[in-house]
Amino acid sequence: MKDNQQETENSMYKKGTYRASDKMSNLICDNYPMVLVMSRFGIELGFGGKNIGEVCKQNEVDVKTFLTVVNFLIEGKPVKIEKVSECISLEVLIRYLHNAHDYFLNFRLPHLRRKLLEAIEGCREDVAFVIREFFDEYAEEVNKHMMYEENTVYPYVKGLLQGEKDPRYNISIFRKRHDQIEMKIIELKNILIKYYPGQGSNLLNSVLFDIFATEEDLATHSLVEDYLFVPAILELEKKNAL
Amino acid sequence: MTSTLKIAIAESSLLLRSGLEAQLKRLAEFKIQLVEIITTESLFESLRMHKPDLVIINPAFPGTFTPQQIKEECGCQEMKCIALLYSMSDPAQLRLYDEQITIFDGLNDIKNKLEGLLVSTIQKETESEDAQTLSTREKEIVVCVVKGMTNRKIADQLFLSTHTVITHRRNIARKLQIHSASGLTVYAIVNKLIELEDIQQKIG
Repeated sequence: MKDNQQETENSMYKKGTYRASDKMSNLICDNYPMVLVMSRFGIELGFGGKNIGEVCKQNEVDVKTFLTVVNFLIEGKPVKIEKVSECISLEVLIRYLHNAHDYFLNFRLPHLRRKLLEAIEGCREDVAFVIREFFDEYAEEVNKHMMYEENTVYPYVKGLLQGEKDPRYNISIFRKRHDQIEMKIIELKNILIKYYPGQGSNLLNSVLFDIFATEEDLATHSLVEDYLFVPAILELEKKNAL
Repeated sequence: MTSTLKIAIAESSLLLRSGLEAQLKRLAEFKIQLVEIITTESLFESLRMHKPDLVIINPAFPGTFTPQQIKEECGCQEMKCIALLYSMSDPAQLRLYDEQITIFDGLNDIKNKLEGLLVSTIQKETESEDAQTLSTREKEIVVCVVKGMTNRKIADQLFLSTHTVITHRRNIARKLQIHSASGLTVYAIVNKLIELEDIQQKIG
């Protein structure tokens, strides 16, 4: 009883496993970051009172993959899933990851940049300059990181799904070089919180909120890659080798 | 809590040394690594080489050297000196030691004394970790990093070894929670350690 209480106090989201028969609107209201997950699966808002299974079917989304990702993220800590390739469709997961990349590169980071520049406009010119440089360098790193996945990893996996095995590549290469892309945005957050010399503003606070959210979003994105995507490909590589 | 503890025993009597060793090994709280120092001649060299966390030493053993002199001589300022007592000793001399163990101490007494000494080291460490202000040397190094200099070049310019530069950089990263060169650039500009013109050559 006491443990239960503590758990609800520690988390602002409702935990527990969601099933196809649960209402989609409940899932979103209980865990609002899931609105992004849903959108990356290609499901739009306005689904009324339908349950998860119905909404997925209507949008031609594999419900098994959707539930695996949602339940994995809601758990709050990474859990290894046995025989993960049976719980997800790699084609669907790749589309999901691709949409997430598109969101970060073409919406989230440019949006954050505009807002950040506006927020630091009144600051010392040299400070505004180096903060902008820092952000642009960071955005370029994220871009490189994600483009490698788009141009190298996904084509490899798509080939693998069709039974072709590129002898020069395997997913362990990706696993080894897959770095934590959220580290540097944590640095930007630290710099603003601890050392920002200008006057604070509502806009700057809002930028900080966005950075916190982006940091978490990037971290969970990496978790999906490390705990669902890569293990599923490892299983597929093993199966193909037989 | 299990932490590895390197203890040197400087005592010429085999019976006392092995008795103390046997008791120390019974302490489940610590993983203990022992260094035996049998003769006064090998004291400094052995301490310099092993850099133990603690030295348990018969006050008569080092002759006229005080614990402070031993620490300085061996370059282990953090090392604690415990006096091992089995005869009457001059109290004025004993005050210079961090702690005392007598041959009538039980295992629990020894344990409590060791823990007491360790707590004070741990507290010291956390205090210094909290400190976020950079030393003058560290600021100089930040400026060099921001200018795009390699560790080798920084070492040459400041007359340090590259090893020392790397240690400084690690401490800077820990204190500021900033790891990248571009992050340090923001820090340096904000705190006016450097002018924008000094780095624009690098950018341009």
